[in-house]
Amino acid sequence: MLRLVLTLVVLCGAIATATENGFRLRRALAATSNSSSDGDGEDAPRDPPEPYSLGPKILDWDRQRAEWLRRHPDRPSFLAPTKPRVLLVTGSSPSPCENPVGDHYLLKALKNKIDYCRIHGIEMFYNMALLDAEMTGFWAKLPLLRALLLAHPEVEFLWWMDSDAMFTDMAFEIPWDRYAAHNLVMHGWDDMVYEEHNWIGLNTGIFLLRNCQWSLDLLDAWAPMGPKGEVRIEAGKVLTAYLKERPIFEADDQSAMVYLLATQRDRWGDKVYLESTYFLHGYWDIVVDRYEEMLKIFRPGFGDHRWPLVTHFVGCKPCGKFRAYSVERCLKQMDRAFNFGDNQILQTYGFVHKSLASRAVKKIRNETSNPLGMKDA
Amino acid sequence: MGQEGKTPPARDLPSSARSRLTRRRQIRKTFNNLKITVLCGVVTILVLRGTVGIGSLVGAGGGTDASEASQQKVVEDIDRILREIRSDSDPDDDDQIPFGFNSTAAVLNYTSAEELAAYANYTLGPKISDWDEQRRRWLEENPGFPSRVDNGKPRILLVTGSPPNPCDNAIGDHYLLKGAKNKIDYCRIHGIEIVYNMAHLDRELAGYWAKLPLIRRLMLSHPELEWLWWMDSDALFTDMAFEIPLDRYAAHNLVIHGYPDLLFEKHSWIALNTGSFLLRNCQWSLDLLDAWAPMGPKGPIRDEAGKILTANLQGRPAFEADDQSALIYLLLSQQKRWGDKVYIENSYYLHGFWTGLVDKYEEMMEKYHPGLGDERWPFVTHFVGCKPCGSYGDYPVERCLKSLERAFNFADNQVLRMYGFSHGNLTTPKIKRTMKQTEKPLEVLDQLNPEARIETKG
Repeated sequence: MLRLVLTLVVLCGAIATATENGFRLRRALAATSNSSSDGDGEDAPRDPPEPYSLGPKILDWDRQRAEWLRRHPDRPSFLAPTKPRVLLVTGSSPSPCENPVGDHYLLKALKNKIDYCRIHGIEMFYNMALLDAEMTGFWAKLPLLRALLLAHPEVEFLWWMDSDAMFTDMAFEIPWDRYAAHNLVMHGWDDMVYEEHNWIGLNTGIFLLRNCQWSLDLLDAWAPMGPKGEVRIEAGKVLTAYLKERPIFEADDQSAMVYLLATQRDRWGDKVYLESTYFLHGYWDIVVDRYEEMLKIFRPGFGDHRWPLVTHFVGCKPCGKFRAYSVERCLKQMDRAFNFGDNQILQTYGFVHKSLASRAVKKIRNETSNPLGMKDA
Repeated sequence: MGQEGKTPPARDLPSSARSRLTRRRQIRKTFNNLKITVLCGVVTILVLRGTVGIGSLVGAGGGTDASEASQQKVVEDIDRILREIRSDSDPDDDDQIPFGFNSTAAVLNYTSAEELAAYANYTLGPKISDWDEQRRRWLEENPGFPSRVDNGKPRILLVTGSPPNPCDNAIGDHYLLKGAKNKIDYCRIHGIEIVYNMAHLDRELAGYWAKLPLIRRLMLSHPELEWLWWMDSDALFTDMAFEIPLDRYAAHNLVIHGYPDLLFEKHSWIALNTGSFLLRNCQWSLDLLDAWAPMGPKGPIRDEAGKILTANLQGRPAFEADDQSALIYLLLSQQKRWGDKVYIENSYYLHGFWTGLVDKYEEMMEKYHPGLGDERWPFVTHFVGCKPCGSYGDYPVERCLKSLERAFNFADNQVLRMYGFSHGNLTTPKIKRTMKQTEKPLEVLDQLNPEARIETKG
């Protein structure tokens, strides 16, 4: 009788735990299926065993493109011998930000990019569409980049730039001829990537990608860790195990890039330029407190630690809920960075912000009836 | 238990009875097992309910609470910062007495704009009288900045903007962002540069008047520009293929949407729309801006001017002077001076009033195609009166926001087409693929006609 009772108790416990787990699993599945609808579930679901692909494999893109450029001499891929046609690509979600002030900062960052691009003869594409339901979040740029490369053969370089990055050196021009023999330019350090395998050895928030076969192949090699769900989670574990100091979370495009380069250096390394002589990506926390000092000592055009080309608000996430940094510091510093860049534009019109914290502007020179200096003295 | 009910031991029974007995035992065993199973099930359910119940209690008390608290803190922080930003308006932004105004003067009672202008003593800047000559010489000396772009078209700058502060209504910033993207798309396709202004260049000419000092400043700083195209932030491009017929305006300096009969006969305050217009970079335009500005200075001057405008223009409500009414009044009262260089355009929607257009987009996609620019496929859909950024609009908020989204997606479809995508319907940000990917994307690209009908079926 006692044995029976004990068996009963154990059995009941086992059944209870099993059913509890069942409920938890079902809850988790429900949660994931909810989040999958933030993308576009309209496409037919992919057959799971089939590996993910960005699109049909193209093998002769260089030839196709060269032919097209020959047939369209009115759309050359170079605007001047050393000046390629560049398309700056950025974007944000088509839904309003969770954070009530997020859209305002996206707007300011956009205006900032419009200013830089106008001055430097660069075209812009602001994306607000999720092209592939599986490649969500930071991975969304891959299908976008492929689509843009293929639809814009006249573009020589795509310049990806995160929405939380701002130009703070309006005068600095990318040294295009330095990269004549390269197809991918990112801010980073060779030793940190190839030797240390450090997950922040490079930054994929801002990079240049040439429009060529090599780049299509790179995107194909980069993409497999991206598809949402099991694949991305498992890939994240691989990345955390392999890369130095990487926290535990699902695969992100930056870690995947470090992994790709570190494990396939022979295949890709010679065409990748890890640039650290100027701030193609400038981590904001080490830059923003020095703006006044920069104004005192330096001038626009350096692009480096003296006058950063880009101030990148990594971790601030103005559109969602702030996580890594305090809300106050992020927003206030974004205002300062914006004004620091904006001053360089306003000055050409005779204005400047009253202070780096102020939205108001003041005149810095009197207007004249001879604005072009054309009148004889 | 009586003796009668007792089952004798199996070995004492005959074989047939024994098999009957075994079966009975089996049945009883099964029955007992069933009872145990049911009991087990009941206990399991009770245990489960207990665990789940406690679990949710623990959850609420422990983990969820912590994250909820931190979320709450973030929300509070953002609210506080928003309040700070909103209260951080420069003292100059307040409605203070404008510079030069004599506060002890008697109540203004001007009946004519000329008197008002003379009193106001306001200027946009030092008078320039030879801008055409200055500009011509500059262009000669700077061949690297031609006034015509690659394809021979005159160089155009699209000018738009919004206030430097966050909108009172957060959704307003979202639609400013979408509006900016919309303009970037059109301008990229048509080789037009953009200036997005977020600075108050002149504290007296604030609000809708702010475009005047801005346009002047840009003209003088960019002699390489042939045309400046002002466009309100609440105006969206809805025909991505339409090209402005600039040749038509070779002999004009101001191109503005409107109706001549409303202007010259009815003197209607909405005869023209200054939400979207083109202004040539030349002396005439500088003079026009100078003549236009005097009703603008904030305060008593703008209020008085408003009275003059309401008195002289048909249908105008009583409020301070706005730039549109002032321009209409100027063109009416000084027709000889300005008229011949003003092109009042209504063969396409350089400005398209939204209420009559936004519900027809599906019909348009059914019947027509991009490139027409007129009522069949409006060039610009202008959300006059919606004011999503502010707190008070003239129309219900819901209707405005829904229509803004529709107009945005209607235009976006024309851009996405190039990449093989489309919005499923005009109210959703979601997109679907409309063109299969191929290994020969350039063949597809070459066949792409921006004026082809938009496919509505995916």
